[in-house]
Amino acid sequence: MSKKKVVHYINQFFAGIGGEEKADHKPEVREGVVGPGIGLNAALGDNAEIIATVICGDTYFNEHLEEAEAAVLEMVEKYNPDLFIAGPAFNAGRYGVAAGAVTKAVSEKLGIPAVTAMYVENPGADMYKSDVYIVKTGNSAATMGQAIPALTSLALKLLKGEEIGTPDEDNYMERGIRVNYFAEERGSKRAVDMLIKKLKGEEFVTEYPMPAFDRVFPNPAVKDITKAKIGLVTSGGIVPKGNPDKIESSSASKYGRYDISGFDVLTSETHETAHGGYDPVYANADPNRVLPVDVLRDLEKEGKIGSLHNIYYATVGNGTAVASAKKYAEAFAKELVADGVDAVITTST
Amino acid sequence: MDLENQQRVKDIAEKYPAEDIVVILGGAEAQSAKLMGDTVTTGDPTFAGPLAGVQLGLTAYHAVEPQFKDAVDEDVYDDQIGMMEMVLDVDEIIAAMNEVRG
Amino acid sequence: MCTIVPISLTVGANRIVPTIAIPHPLGNPALDPVEEKALRRRLVEKALEALSTEVDGQEVFEAF
Repeated sequence: MSKKKVVHYINQFFAGIGGEEKADHKPEVREGVVGPGIGLNAALGDNAEIIATVICGDTYFNEHLEEAEAAVLEMVEKYNPDLFIAGPAFNAGRYGVAAGAVTKAVSEKLGIPAVTAMYVENPGADMYKSDVYIVKTGNSAATMGQAIPALTSLALKLLKGEEIGTPDEDNYMERGIRVNYFAEERGSKRAVDMLIKKLKGEEFVTEYPMPAFDRVFPNPAVKDITKAKIGLVTSGGIVPKGNPDKIESSSASKYGRYDISGFDVLTSETHETAHGGYDPVYANADPNRVLPVDVLRDLEKEGKIGSLHNIYYATVGNGTAVASAKKYAEAFAKELVADGVDAVITTST
Repeated sequence: MDLENQQRVKDIAEKYPAEDIVVILGGAEAQSAKLMGDTVTTGDPTFAGPLAGVQLGLTAYHAVEPQFKDAVDEDVYDDQIGMMEMVLDVDEIIAAMNEVRG
Repeated sequence: MCTIVPISLTVGANRIVPTIAIPHPLGNPALDPVEEKALRRRLVEKALEALSTEVDGQEVFEAF
C-alpha cells in the first residue's frame, strides 16, 4: 500500500529563498521536501511522505491575507493530501499567523487533517489555537530537534484517526474545549486533598486554570486634541543612529528613551532601525516611515495638536517576550503620565 | 550556524576531501556549539541554511577542547583565548562536542 | 498604528489604525516624497481622530 500523502507549508526563510528582503515572496509550490520537511519526512517514516511543499513569504501572506490563503488552498487541493503540516514557526510572528491561517483553512475548507507548531507567545498562537491543533515549540529554530518529533507525533495521530489526548499528553496548546470524564475520587475529596497540599505549601495542580484575561478598557477620548500633548512610542525599533543603547534586533532586553527636541524630521543620518524582523531598508532611508516625527511637528506648528512630547520611547518588538514588553511599558507609562502627556501614538509594523 | 558560514563550509567541503578538513568552533555556549557541530557533521538541525539535510561528516572541535588547545602555541592560546576560557563552561562544551562526534 | 490588524485585535488594542506595509507602515517608497508625506499625514490624522473618539472595546479606524 502506498504511503499517505502530506503537503507541507513553510516560509521563504526555511525554503532557503532569503530573509527579510524576500519576505514578499509570492506563494509557490515545489515537489517533494524543502528545508525542515527533510526532518519531518524522516520522522514520518513509513507512515507518510511529504509530496509537495508550499512556500510563501511572511510579509506577502500578512499583507494579502485573503489572496494568499486562497492561493495556498488551491495549491494544496491539487495534491489531495491525507495530511497537512505547517511550520514549525517558533516565535516568528508573521510566520505563525500564516501557518495558523493556512492550517485552519485547509482543515475547515478542504476537510483535510491539519496541524501546525509554534511558540506559545507567537501572535498566531492566540489567534488560532481554538481553531486548530498547534504543537508547542521552543522560541527559536535552535529547538527544531525537539519540535519535529512533537509535531510528527500529533500529525500521525491525526492522520491515523487516533484519539487525541489532553493538551499536556500530546503537547499542543489548549483549545478551550472541555471534555467530561469520570474521576475515581469524588470532588469533595479532591478539593480537600488539594487544600491540604496548599496549606502545607506542597505543589498541587489546579483542575481549572483561570483564563488569562488580558483586556484593558479603552481610555476616554481626548477632549481637545488641539491642546493635547502627544507622545510617541514604537516597537519598530527606531533609535538614534548607531543604536547607542544597543537595543537587540530580536528579544529586546531593554527599551530606549530618546530626546527629539530640535528634530523637525528624522533622517538616515540621525536615526536608524534596530529591528531585525522586517526589511530595514525603507526605515533606515526614512525613519519617519516608522516614527512619524515630521508629520507631528507640522501638526504641532499648525496648532492641530497642542505639542509633540520631546521624549519618545522605543524598543524592538521582534520576538520580545510579552512579559518584557509589559514591564517596559509599565515603566515608561509612569514617565509619560508624569510628563503630562495626554495621549500616545504607538507604531509597530 | 549562520547561512553565510554554512555556505562557506559547504564550498570548502566540495573543494577538498573531508579527511583533509577540520572545523574549529568558537561558540560561547554548549548549546550553540552542539548546533554548529551538528551542522557540519549531520546537517543543519534547524533546517534553515544551505546545509539543511546535507551530511558533510566533517570533524569538528571547539577551540577550548584539549585536542585543539594542546596542539597550538601555549602563549598565543593564552593571549587570544585565555580570557574567554575562564568564563565559558568548558566541561559542558566538551560534553556537547563529544556528542557531536558520536 | 500597525499593518497586521488581526494581531492588534488579538492582543486587545483599543484604538487601531491600519497602516501601509510591514517594512514601511507610515510610508510608501513607491510614491514621491511629497505624496508619501501626505500619505503619512493622513494616517497620523486618523490616529489623532481615533484618540479623540470614544470607543467601546476595540475599534479599527481606517484611513482609506
